Amino acid sequence: MIYRSFSRSALWTTIAAREAKRTYMSPAKATFEFSAGALAGALEFLKRTRWELRSLRRAHVYADCLRIFDINGDYFEVRGIGFADSDVVPLLQAVNAAFDPASVHEPPVSTPKEFDLGRRYTWAHDRVM
Amino acid sequence: MIATTNGHANGSLNEATTRDPFNNNCYGTMVDRKYKLVSLPVLDVNDFNERIIRGYEEGYGEKELPADLSLARSLVPAGTASLRDFSNISPEIPEYIADNCTGCMDCVTECPDTAILGKVLSETEWNEKMSTIPEADREMYGKQWSRTKKYFDAGKKRLGDGGMFQIIIDPSKCKGCAECVTVCDDDALKMIAKTDEVMLNSRKSHRYFKNIGPSNEKYISDNLLIDMMLKEQTMIYTGGAGSCAGCGEGTALRMLCAATALKHNDDWGIIAATGCNTVYTSTYPYNPYLVPWSNSLFENAPTYAIGVRMRWDQMGWDKKPLWCIGGDGAMFDIGFQALSRMFASGMNVKVFVLDTQVYSNTGGQASTSTYTGQNTKMSVHGKSVDGKQERRKEIAQIAIMHPRTYVAQTTCAHINHFYKSVLGAMEFDGPAIVVCYTTCQPEHGVADNMAGEQARLAVDTRAFPLLIYDPRAGDTIKKRLSLQGNPNVKGDWFVNPKTNKEVTFIDFARSEGRFAKHFDKDGNPSETLAFANKDRLENWHLLQELAGLR
Repeated sequence: MIYRSFSRSALWTTIAAREAKRTYMSPAKATFEFSAGALAGALEFLKRTRWELRSLRRAHVYADCLRIFDINGDYFEVRGIGFADSDVVPLLQAVNAAFDPASVHEPPVSTPKEFDLGRRYTWAHDRVM
Repeated sequence: MIATTNGHANGSLNEATTRDPFNNNCYGTMVDRKYKLVSLPVLDVNDFNERIIRGYEEGYGEKELPADLSLARSLVPAGTASLRDFSNISPEIPEYIADNCTGCMDCVTECPDTAILGKVLSETEWNEKMSTIPEADREMYGKQWSRTKKYFDAGKKRLGDGGMFQIIIDPSKCKGCAECVTVCDDDALKMIAKTDEVMLNSRKSHRYFKNIGPSNEKYISDNLLIDMMLKEQTMIYTGGAGSCAGCGEGTALRMLCAATALKHNDDWGIIAATGCNTVYTSTYPYNPYLVPWSNSLFENAPTYAIGVRMRWDQMGWDKKPLWCIGGDGAMFDIGFQALSRMFASGMNVKVFVLDTQVYSNTGGQASTSTYTGQNTKMSVHGKSVDGKQERRKEIAQIAIMHPRTYVAQTTCAHINHFYKSVLGAMEFDGPAIVVCYTTCQPEHGVADNMAGEQARLAVDTRAFPLLIYDPRAGDTIKKRLSLQGNPNVKGDWFVNPKTNKEVTFIDFARSEGRFAKHFDKDGNPSETLAFANKDRLENWHLLQELAGLR
């Protein structure tokens, strides 16, 4: 029997290459220019443009930009904000990203920093038996 | 065979009708098939399919059909779920982008609903078959075939004629979970809205796919396990089961059926313990299995399987595999005594556990498989108790300590490990158990497309280590136990090369809604979760020690 196998680092490289290709090939569905004091506007932007994307899958944070991807690889972009900015935290929270607050602002080994977005409420989460 | 009582004026449900003009809801997965008839005086397959299934498909079954003998006898013919139409439950459907496809078969393998199918034909055959497609649709359908390196280039080199490869979506079975889009590493699938035009072309294309005949087996390597689902014989679990969109269990059952059918066609059977799996595979009158299947109670599936095995052996059917399927509630908890007894019997029964770490079917109560800290209906996270306080029970380690038992722990996201585990269990002459991590979207609190990704993360974070324990491999536990497939197998945690950071159980918990209450508003984990993290590492250390890696 032949078992198809590949190294884990190769897998990560494949994923990175694919997403790099996606971001290179298609422009953002919507963009927002972030500036100091514009957090409320950025949150409103995420809320307002959310319908343009399908089920959200991943967030990429660069030194100067945040990208929110859906399952099709379509994305929208908040420019002018990066992983070092404190305001990136409420933006990531707004899209229900899974991130560690202790390391969210640390510079990554390789850009972008990636966060998964697939978390949901469990069924009947608010029901007390 | 008993005579059919089909007297319906509108034609067979297994043929095109006004409701289903392209006959998408019909028997056969890769090509059309007739009903799977049985020689039983108590079950008239034609009558069941044409009268009862029709009643449910046309919406009057529950109100107008009289109580019937098949319901009283708890009998449902094989594969009736093929006739079920799910076209209208999702607003979106995947679109295939042939130019990007590499023919990896991941999408076909991971679909929980047998709704995405692959086919390969020689270019010569393909040209001939395309000429039979109505001219108006030829271009539309032809565009859905690709020339991949795997089948076309390699096929041309090996056989002199390149293999044309197609992925098709069955619009009547797809629930729109987008698992296929998520597992595709090549951007060859994307979700699109179900417009009238999209659905018309999708229905037509699926019809042409079935009309065009089976795959050319010359292009299917028997040694390449990922390609097994190109063969009709492996399609034992049809679409049309009532599981949730993206259900991790559906994929596990499909892959189990495919691997078993690869070796034994449809000459094997299943005993199922009550749980989600029995509900969505026997919601009257729909049955997705094309092999004999039976369910008695929650707690007695292994005992029931012992009885069936004994009778089969008496009949000379000792080579016929018998799978005993159940969830963690059935195998870790309520049926544990029966399971242990079956292992001790040394009988040739194979157990497959759909481990969702919770009683999914009854609304999400804690089982002994539930992780520490998990918020469930019987371990509700509140002010005084924050989720489950006990440690998770490890059924694999317990099974290893039974006399001469084959044990594997695997996930559908680790396709080769999965198939190796299942095929190994079947080859083993004695009792075997394969424990499979299965994502339960509503109870884990993850999106419909996340079954595979979360299963992979569970392995990466030591929440659910892969293992195979084969008693034939040597005379010590160290020789018998393999942890191959886990990342950083000699270390504590896996280190993500993109971040240079350890990926721990807390990272896994962060990504799922069932642990959400363990993080404060700043995202810091609770003490209970820190304990759960320690528990997972201790479990991993124990496995390393048993495998001689520590």
